[in-house]
Amino acid sequence: MRPLEHKKLLTLIAPREFQRLLVDTLQKREVGGYTIVPATGAGASGVRSGLLASDSNVLIYVIISEARLQLVLEDLDELMRGGYRLKALVSDIAILPRKPAAGADQ
Amino acid sequence: MPSGLLHSLVDPAILFFVFGVFAGLVRSNLEIPAAISKFFSLYLLMALGLKGGASLAETGLPVEGVLALLAAIGMAALVPAYSFLILGRRISPFDAAAVAATYGSVSAVTFIAAQQFLRNHEVAFGGHMTVAMVLMESPAIVMAVLLASLVRTRLARAAPAGTAAPPLAALSMRAVLHEAFTDGAHLLLIGSLVIGYLTGEHGAQVMQPFTGAIFKGILAFFLLEMGLLVARQFKESKVRLGPFLIGFALLMPVFNATLALALAWALGLARGDAMLLAVLSASASYIVVPAIVRYAIPEARPGVYFTMALGVTFPFNILLGIPLYFAMSGMI
Repeated sequence: MRPLEHKKLLTLIAPREFQRLLVDTLQKREVGGYTIVPATGAGASGVRSGLLASDSNVLIYVIISEARLQLVLEDLDELMRGGYRLKALVSDIAILPRKPAAGADQ
Repeated sequence: MPSGLLHSLVDPAILFFVFGVFAGLVRSNLEIPAAISKFFSLYLLMALGLKGGASLAETGLPVEGVLALLAAIGMAALVPAYSFLILGRRISPFDAAAVAATYGSVSAVTFIAAQQFLRNHEVAFGGHMTVAMVLMESPAIVMAVLLASLVRTRLARAAPAGTAAPPLAALSMRAVLHEAFTDGAHLLLIGSLVIGYLTGEHGAQVMQPFTGAIFKGILAFFLLEMGLLVARQFKESKVRLGPFLIGFALLMPVFNATLALALAWALGLARGDAMLLAVLSASASYIVVPAIVRYAIPEARPGVYFTMALGVTFPFNILLGIPLYFAMSGMI
């Protein structure tokens, strides 16, 4: 069995209006892989029911290396300091890679 | 009870809105699937655009239509300007800019409900009023973004050296305008208007089963969903608006409508067009503008501008405002 790889999982919770902005931010750091899931909820900004385009959230999942994560977090920090309301969660994960790392036993 | 108000309240679509508010307040688990809800809002815009375009093709753009469009542009510029001046005295300038943008723009659903009200009362209106609605959507957004930029510049200059927030990297007028004019709902409305105009009477007849026969039913369903949303927003919003903002959300629409009717009287607009101009001026956007403002003025609190527009002004206009503006339009 191919060995598990240790990576970081970056989870972004943001209004749907920020989706394009966040994807552009990720792509600027050459992060090409991400998963977007519609979401609902509530918070300091009010209820996000998902019924209207202006009332919906998204979850953006990104599996990323530690080095690239730091660059992305710096960009997100700049957006947050500018007032953009979003949450960035970082967790450690182990992932079964689609392609084993070079030199690893099959 | 004035007959216009009574007639409005026994309209099935309006009653479904009231029912939706009731269901939301008693915390029913009644839920409209999100995808269907989004389809409804797109359908209503498409039908609105197609019907407006076909009507415009039939009647052309008379002098009165041109005057109505000029009045619409005038109101779209005036309302956010004085709203910002009034609000800026009591709330943060970013919140003021966002609320000014919201109230300077329009609510398509309120406009559709007003059109239905006029049809029920057999009062004619021009297809150019849909064009007026399109024209009124965006100027407020541009004004608000400019105002917010001015406020940011002023705050940055006033801040001690090294403490000012960095300039927003993602914010540029070009990006904001791109968002405003390529917003899906906005684009669909414009596209439908153009298609309705190009296909004219023949197109209207072909589309009648889709845009005519089922229109009221879908409007009723959509207003049911809006009632649920209004109740939830009002109950669960953590932002307490306070008497000033609630007063603004209730009184400003009436003031804006009065100003619009005065302008309509001065220009000699017909009753139906005058009333729709009043409704457009009195309504506040809770779909297009909040989405853009969240991106363009992130310092503003969505709990303020969104709750005001959706939780206070929208139900006021739907239940009381439309019959009130109709009654006022009969006096000019």
